[in-house]
Amino acid sequence: MMNIKILFFINALLLLQGCAPVAPWERGNLAKPHMALDHNPMRSALRAHNYGSREAAAGGEAGGGGGCGCY
Amino acid sequence: MAVIDRCETGLCLRKAASRSSGLQALTAAALALPGMLSSGDAAAADSEFAFQQSRYEEGKRNLFDAKVENPIQVDSIHASGKLSLTDRIKFAFNFLQDTWSGATPMSTAPLAGAIRPNIPVEREGVVSGASPFFQRTIQFNENFEPLAVDPVSRQTLGVDKRAVHVMSTASPETRNQGDFKLTYEWDELALDLGGGISIERDYESRFVNFGGRWDFNQKSTTLNFGMSYTNSDTYAIIDHDAQVYIENTNEGSQFTQAFRNQIKIEKGDYILQGNREDWGVNLGLTQIVGKSTVLDLSFGYARGTGFMENPYKVMTLVFVDPDTLEGETRGVLEQRPDERNQFSFGARLAQYIEPLDAAWHFNYRFNHDDWGIDAHTFESDWVQPLGSGWKVTPHVRYYSQSAADFYSPYLLIKQAFSKAVFVPGVGITRQSADDSVLPANFSSDHRLSGFGTLSGGVSISKEFTKGFTLEAGFEYYTHEGRLKLGGGGEAGFADFNYYVANAALKVDLDNLGRALDFFGDGHGHHLHHHGAGNPAGLMFAHMMDEPGSFMVGYQFMYGRQSGDMLNGSSVPLDSTIVENGCSTDIQCRFTPKFMNMKMHMLMFMYAPTDWLNLMVMPQFVDMDMNLRELSGRPPPAQGVHEHTGVGGHETGGVGDTSLSALIKLYDSGMHHLHAGIGVTAPTGDVDLEFRRIVQEDGGLIHFMMQLGSGTWDFTPSLTYTGTLDRWSWGAQASGVKRLQDKNESGYALGDLFQTSVWGGYNLTSWLSTTVRGIYTVQGSIRGDFNKFNGRGGPMDFPKNHGGRFWDLGLGVSAYVPSGDLAGNRLSFEWIQPLKDDVNGFQLERDGALSASWSYAF
Repeated sequence: MMNIKILFFINALLLLQGCAPVAPWERGNLAKPHMALDHNPMRSALRAHNYGSREAAAGGEAGGGGGCGCY
Repeated sequence: MAVIDRCETGLCLRKAASRSSGLQALTAAALALPGMLSSGDAAAADSEFAFQQSRYEEGKRNLFDAKVENPIQVDSIHASGKLSLTDRIKFAFNFLQDTWSGATPMSTAPLAGAIRPNIPVEREGVVSGASPFFQRTIQFNENFEPLAVDPVSRQTLGVDKRAVHVMSTASPETRNQGDFKLTYEWDELALDLGGGISIERDYESRFVNFGGRWDFNQKSTTLNFGMSYTNSDTYAIIDHDAQVYIENTNEGSQFTQAFRNQIKIEKGDYILQGNREDWGVNLGLTQIVGKSTVLDLSFGYARGTGFMENPYKVMTLVFVDPDTLEGETRGVLEQRPDERNQFSFGARLAQYIEPLDAAWHFNYRFNHDDWGIDAHTFESDWVQPLGSGWKVTPHVRYYSQSAADFYSPYLLIKQAFSKAVFVPGVGITRQSADDSVLPANFSSDHRLSGFGTLSGGVSISKEFTKGFTLEAGFEYYTHEGRLKLGGGGEAGFADFNYYVANAALKVDLDNLGRALDFFGDGHGHHLHHHGAGNPAGLMFAHMMDEPGSFMVGYQFMYGRQSGDMLNGSSVPLDSTIVENGCSTDIQCRFTPKFMNMKMHMLMFMYAPTDWLNLMVMPQFVDMDMNLRELSGRPPPAQGVHEHTGVGGHETGGVGDTSLSALIKLYDSGMHHLHAGIGVTAPTGDVDLEFRRIVQEDGGLIHFMMQLGSGTWDFTPSLTYTGTLDRWSWGAQASGVKRLQDKNESGYALGDLFQTSVWGGYNLTSWLSTTVRGIYTVQGSIRGDFNKFNGRGGPMDFPKNHGGRFWDLGLGVSAYVPSGDLAGNRLSFEWIQPLKDDVNGFQLERDGALSASWSYAF
């Protein structure tokens, strides 16, 4: 199971290398603030904190903090 | 943007984009792609200040008609800032605070109960029966299924396999977190180093992280990596009410030795201690896959070791005697594995929808760990700009997880807990079960059960002027066993829901500066402020006289009391406090040892004309206090929660909100006079209570630990300021008049009058100092608590509030007159008490610190 996932990841990596590059002057749309992958970091932090204290799958991301959630 | 200057292709772009500063900014950001994209910073500037407030409130749990205490609610604030120290060095910091109180599940028990049922009993119209608790006797059938029994007739009603939560209520508690990140950026590479600390009464966590990104393939591809290390200590006081029912903390029990060497007994409190370490690494790849599409893939691994338990969760053990089929329940602290390895895979897609100028975000995440939990998360945001700076973002999310291998709502053990047996040669003796009947790990924390969640919400934001944005959002979340992917989730007893409402303010300092340049009317950097060098702790002293100008500000105040107890101006003996500090009927048993008060205040100020300024100031406060026992105190009174003083107590949340207007009365350039007229709205709670303990109400928390006045208050002020060359001076008289006789808890704080006189000197064009003399007089509290209060000491009696106070304020203030950060002002003031003459008996003040930041545009 795990091996398949890693293979998929490496495959995806290789595939992406083959993409036709988008020239810098064609990236106007991508540069819009609402196209940022995390377009609202403060709200993401709030959501992550709430989900993290209510669900078991939190973590797996570099960072830290967030408290115990021991209630 | 330095990037433009370094990029050859940028030159032609800049020419094409020179028609509008907005397009210029956008193109500049495009060239920085995708590194900034992947780190989530493209939406934000290099220099930014943001503040967010939120409220989390859970719906009531299903306790099958038993009395439901108020569910948990959390008030949070989050302040964050980013600064470009140089073109290449960036600094970011966050401060977060959560304050929560209310009931949460502590254990789970079978609903059926033979003698003391877990549901209330109605006899002749009167409902009786306690809240669900985990020590019960239950009848089983031969298949070991629990049987419901009519509590009145004792007749068996049939199989009832339902379970129910056992709830535990907490007094208010606060968590503070501070963290930072320092980033160094090269043209195609960036490295960052960060760290922080999270502190709550029962948990302290310290963390460091290191990460970076590498752009290549003409910045079409970015590789991200990160790693983190966290070290956390648990210091949990076991619930007083439950302690004797938990085998690990019951001194008379021989059932288990688990955790006994980690439990410290201090002043009657059982404190469970533990340490855990967490490591995390992740690797990510961001790829521009088209003119309108960005894809991000990531892989993460996290490893935790040590004390991974939730110290407040208790597993209910049901011992069923196979001979009699009678079940008897016991509670033990949950036991989780000492190790956890988690893997995650995530994919994020951002798709630009050209005809609507919208962005569609879709995220998927898969998590797998060696506790047996597999989880899937699907999340989607649609960000829709609506013109005029408005933006609306609907959001939907689905999450599903399988249960941990060791999760069970309760454990059924097919033997008697204690049984009389005949041993040849010894006779009849009692044999008790020991913890060899238990599995290695077990938990009834429903966060480890199988369930699904569905949540959705919307947020709306409005950019008022380039770089100044307000936002409000709402989210509803439901957790249900039956929402689990593929079915098989936990039964309905564990279902719950919550909502979160948030409001945020963002100031993008780079863009504000740009906007001001763009207007080119010369006003931007030369706003005229009266009293710009005022002491930081002074309110309503500063006025803007350019019509249409805005100011945003943030003020932090910290005050501490930890000196001697005072009676008037003298220090009384403990015996005097015992006799006279409370009332004629009640002797004092406790007195404050120290108290800390922190306040975060936001300021929004607008000048519609040159003679009028309008201000709104929301506040967020938090307090903590410790008590000490008075020597010669009387014995404990019946039915009163006595603070042991081990952990102290805390409150916090939204405080009162000030609304006011400043009106210019006279201005000659050198001399300036203005009046302030305002009210304070009672948005802070004044009905905070201690949790119920030993079946007794904790009652209302002390007057000064409540979050507001609870009354509408009138706040007039009169301010004079003068300036000549490098010198400035001023005087202010201000007051607070309560407009109501009492608040919802039955009392009104005393009216207050304050005068300040100060002088200041500009050391340089940007740095000034002030010296201030302050006199404050405040009346004692009128009325009294109209609900139960423990009446433990002077802090619980109205007469021991207010007084006459003399202080000296020493301040320093820095103003940025030009450059990228022009218009920013940062000031500090230390208030040193000179003399206290308190009403009744009060704790002496140590001093107070004010720090304020403001920005006018």
